[in-house]
Amino acid sequence: MKKILPVANAIVAVVSGLLVLLGYFFPGVFGGLQSMLIGWAIILAAFALLLGIFNLGMVHWKKIGKDGSGSIYSIVLLISLAVTIVLAGLNGPTGTLSLWIFNTFQVPVEISLLAILAVVLVYAAARLVLRRPSWYTILFLVTVVVVLLGSVPLFFLGEVAVLTSVRGWLAQVPAVAGARGLLLGVALGTVATGLRILMGVDRAYDG
Amino acid sequence: MCRKPNTPVQEECLYCQAPLKGAGFIAPAEPAAEGSQVPPSEEPGEEAPPAQSDLFSSLEDAVPDWLKETEASFLESPAPEAEGPTSEQLSDQIDALINQPLTSSEGQGPAIDDDWLASLLAEAGLNEPSIEDLGTAQDQGGIELEPTGTSQDEPGEEPPIAPEQVQKPDWVSHLEAGSTIKLEGGMPPGEPPDRGLQVSETTGQEGPGEVEIPDWVGKPGPEADTPSAPETEKPLAPADLPGWLEALKPSEDLSPSEPVEDLTTAEVVKAGPLMGLRGVLSAHPSAIRARKPPTYSIKLRVTDEQHARVEMMEELLANEQKPKPLPSKPIISSRNITRLVVALVLILPVIWAIFTGSQRVPLPQPNIIPGVVNCTQSVQRLPVGASVLLAFDYEAGFSGEMNLAVSTAISQLLMKNAFMTLVTTTSSGAALAESLMNASLSTAGIPEGTSAYTNLGYIPGGTLGLLGLATSPRAVLPYSLDGDNVWAAAPLNTISGVADFSAVLLITHDPDIARSWIEQVGPLLQEAGTPLLLITSAQAEPLVRPYYEAVPAQVQGMVPGLAGGLAYGQTTGGSPQNGTWDAFSAGVTASVLVILAGAITGVVVKMIKAKNKKES
Repeated sequence: MKKILPVANAIVAVVSGLLVLLGYFFPGVFGGLQSMLIGWAIILAAFALLLGIFNLGMVHWKKIGKDGSGSIYSIVLLISLAVTIVLAGLNGPTGTLSLWIFNTFQVPVEISLLAILAVVLVYAAARLVLRRPSWYTILFLVTVVVVLLGSVPLFFLGEVAVLTSVRGWLAQVPAVAGARGLLLGVALGTVATGLRILMGVDRAYDG
Repeated sequence: MCRKPNTPVQEECLYCQAPLKGAGFIAPAEPAAEGSQVPPSEEPGEEAPPAQSDLFSSLEDAVPDWLKETEASFLESPAPEAEGPTSEQLSDQIDALINQPLTSSEGQGPAIDDDWLASLLAEAGLNEPSIEDLGTAQDQGGIELEPTGTSQDEPGEEPPIAPEQVQKPDWVSHLEAGSTIKLEGGMPPGEPPDRGLQVSETTGQEGPGEVEIPDWVGKPGPEADTPSAPETEKPLAPADLPGWLEALKPSEDLSPSEPVEDLTTAEVVKAGPLMGLRGVLSAHPSAIRARKPPTYSIKLRVTDEQHARVEMMEELLANEQKPKPLPSKPIISSRNITRLVVALVLILPVIWAIFTGSQRVPLPQPNIIPGVVNCTQSVQRLPVGASVLLAFDYEAGFSGEMNLAVSTAISQLLMKNAFMTLVTTTSSGAALAESLMNASLSTAGIPEGTSAYTNLGYIPGGTLGLLGLATSPRAVLPYSLDGDNVWAAAPLNTISGVADFSAVLLITHDPDIARSWIEQVGPLLQEAGTPLLLITSAQAEPLVRPYYEAVPAQVQGMVPGLAGGLAYGQTTGGSPQNGTWDAFSAGVTASVLVILAGAITGVVVKMIKAKNKKES
């Protein structure tokens, strides 16, 4: 059984991947099969999301039982999860109470985190020269300052045309070039990973 | 035997290790002539009868030197008073050792049966005296052979000599007895034997019928005395030993060590083959006592100091495994103060701009920001009542940046009386979309509950879900969040695929989500000519712009960040910014100032440190 199960998993993965791939090239022949397999995968993904939520609850439940430091946060999480599930289940995901929870807690918390991130990034940039004094550091800081100054007119100085054009050139030439390179690399990596899965070489599903 | 002087208490000769006491050699008190035992009372130097002087000298020449030395040594060493076994016992022992069974034929055999002595006598021309002769000689006052410990026989009386008794000269008997006694250990040391055997010299008269004993046997001749006297006075010259033998010679300085084990107190074996011996292991099973072997303690003998050191080591090792508590950092530190200052510098201008509603900073122009105009035109080209798919794939944290552009887009679509279908691939997208739609409807003055939109909810599976939505949206999202089958009623009853929508508006902050939509849904939209519009965050613009600038363009319109949203708002009639752009400008200006200040400070500090280092 130990030898049969991995082979069976590999066969299922390879056959499914080939069918979905063929559906792209031959939609008339393999289109229906492709849609069916994709539907199954979406159901599995939804169930995996539920399983992840359950696992999260179990982990924090065990953390409460250990009575260590940080257990209070686990208690808050579990209570919040339970209340949200109950209210959303009763009122619906877009009901008044659900939206109230979302607008009162989730949105302000996430916005606050991003605001703190902005302050931390500014503080880190201010200390960057002191921590890593190098020419690349100075180049990086100069680029940051130019992009910031060119993205918005200064409060007391107004828009500086030079800075705006330099910022535009930086965003569209070096940045886009780098982005294109990244996308090409990602695409090649995705193709390679897909081929490895289709050939059965990479078996991440074996566990 | 070596005729070297020894102390009286010595039991063995220091030079030749010959037994001096209790070995059967009963040395007379005074040195005697060789070849015979002279009683102490007798004066040495008596001359032998002249008739036998010649005979004596010839016989003396025939006697080997070692024999002479043996006799002389015994004559020299003084004999202490005997303390030990009585003379009777000693004589009995000697008799028991030397008596040998004799056959009847040898009853009158020669008294002396030693070959070498017989040979000597033969040379001397003497007949072997018989026992009777020996007995007669004794009676005539010849050499009296008195065994040790025996009572003195009355002079004249001749004890009957049995044929089996061998009459030997005294000195011969002494030699034999001493050797046997020494072997058996019968005579304890320190017990000088009795001088039982006394040789009394007779006048030399020989009675008729008596055994004629040569004088040299019984009497020490003057020639024997004289040579012995100077010999006793003058030690023998050492022989010329070969070198290897000389090397083997033990050092004379060494004194003999005492025996390792004193066998005097050992038990005498009374039975068995080792009977009579001392200090031997008994063969009797009872001698071997089977007993339990002793148990030894395995506990180490540890001193108090060692114990203390061990405890110290154990404590050190135990502390190594225990996590040491980190030192608590002070709350008020230069680092924390700097962070607070930076935060205040950033927050205060923003708050001031929002509270004051400042509009000092000019708004961005739509023609400057690429993609805004096309997006506006794409929406403007939509027919009235068109079905538009809106994908809310951004996080709530980016609401401040993107809500302005989304609200403008929703307002524009509401103005077109378009039917908006809301979907999302993020878990919080559905609530975000619902909340924004309600806000936009309230802003537009449209009451809630209107059929202006439908929220289909969350699409699981990520990229797979998008592919499923693109190929069969009815199968992936059959019902809305309210539980209605929206695909059965207008306007979605005419929608079979994503390409059937009039436009697809993607709202995302993540460039990967944008890429997934473009790669999975974009080809079908391009085939149908359905425009794909994008509202993104400023951070995703560089990664999404290539899709917009591609030929053919995969994205027909793009509104990036807050500036794009403000510019987009201006194209649709201008929505009030409420100080947002001024606050953004103030925040960016403050950030730039902080970064510049920090960089300049860092450079100055480094320069000072480098200067100080050079100076030192």
